[in-house]
Amino acid sequence: MRSELEVLAKKFREGYGTLFHQQWPALTGGILLGLLSILVAAWDRPWGIVGGIRNWADWLCYGLGLYPARPENPFLSTSSVLDIGLISGAFASALMAQEFAFRRPPLVEMVKGFAGGVLMGVGAALARGCNVGGFYSPLINLSAGGFPMLAGLIAGAFIGLKCLLWELEKFPAKPAPSPGRSEGTEFGWKLIQPYLGVLVFTGLILAAFLYSERAYTVLGGLLLFGAAFGLILQRCRFCFVRAFRDPFMTGDASVAKAVALSIVIGAVGVGILKWAGFRSESMWVTPVFWWGSLAGGFVFGTGMVIAGGCGSGTLWRAAEGQLKLWAALLTFATTNSLATFWLKNAGWQQKLGKAVFLPDAFGWGGSILFIALIMFIWYLAVTWNEETNRFTAGL
Amino acid sequence: MEEIKADETLDARGLSCPMPVLRTKKALQRLLPGQILEVLSTDPGTRNDLPNWCKRTGNEYLGEKQEKGFTRFYIRKK
Repeated sequence: MRSELEVLAKKFREGYGTLFHQQWPALTGGILLGLLSILVAAWDRPWGIVGGIRNWADWLCYGLGLYPARPENPFLSTSSVLDIGLISGAFASALMAQEFAFRRPPLVEMVKGFAGGVLMGVGAALARGCNVGGFYSPLINLSAGGFPMLAGLIAGAFIGLKCLLWELEKFPAKPAPSPGRSEGTEFGWKLIQPYLGVLVFTGLILAAFLYSERAYTVLGGLLLFGAAFGLILQRCRFCFVRAFRDPFMTGDASVAKAVALSIVIGAVGVGILKWAGFRSESMWVTPVFWWGSLAGGFVFGTGMVIAGGCGSGTLWRAAEGQLKLWAALLTFATTNSLATFWLKNAGWQQKLGKAVFLPDAFGWGGSILFIALIMFIWYLAVTWNEETNRFTAGL
Repeated sequence: MEEIKADETLDARGLSCPMPVLRTKKALQRLLPGQILEVLSTDPGTRNDLPNWCKRTGNEYLGEKQEKGFTRFYIRKK
């Protein structure tokens, strides 16, 4: 009996280790994100990031007297609830993995966080979304705006990487003295982290019930969807920046492949939802084709590489305690709020492009095939580069 | 892991992805083949990124050592 229980305890530790001490493979993340994106679209709406953090910044600007109208209640806005869920889920996941810590970067890194965030805010205003709401979600909703954004993100990531390499040449790190061995082991805080993580997850489930009690079941569900996104992103350290930057930086194509596969999975699923009439055809087909999404993608792409986190990546990294990404989040949200407000009032928002629904041009099956074809071309390009290092920056 | 004597130390504590990998690449340029670089990092991603980068570039990844609040990584230059 006793030994059987010991085996069970051992298996529990192994299972826990696989889930929370080892990083999940990028491809697993891509598949899970694709499936979750279909489910959240079936539940209520597609996955997005910027709308939520803009809502928070709208409140800040409204409080400062910059805006005339009262913004939406952050606890009733679907975008905001998804983001609250994502941050809480990533926070709980980092706790369960004993990876939460306030990581204080040097001043230069903080400045890069602020500056990258400004570019991301402007880019996401032009493209009406970040890497998720402007690129990933439009494509799986069969909206043409995702394609120029892809081109813009790749070009922007290249320029952003050039900035990082310039910094590396200009300000090389001096060799440091090796610190002595630290005595003893990590103190108690690290040991209680997993219990706190369970507590946060429990709190999220309770909050979803509270929403449901007040007849906001949809919002409660979105909170849990957000938390699931946060958990997956944190455990995979899933980072859209890597998809665009790493082929140029190290040649590594693993995340680019994962994103490409994820989009094909999502496009099939959401395509079916729309074709069958469960969701309106115009859902997430934003009027930014093509120059809004191209220019927005370029500016956003440059900013995300400098900041070291995209829309989703900034949120889960901030939840893990990385203060550089707190800086990025602050300027990302506020400049996005201000830029969106300005674009609206100046009448520019209508001039960013057209809403183009791919099935209008290619039919349903043709649209999914077309998306799969573009993703396959991207896959070919990055895997060819992975082998030949044709576009890899001298590593 | 037994004690490894490093020829040089790179302090990447507080830096987040991708700076630890980029700074490692830069620091290795100063070393001679066979010499060992010690990298200090607080970013959880480094635990995967450095071994992967070594695999791609042919440098030898010697291992990691957990310390209070940071991790030491050891790389032998090819």
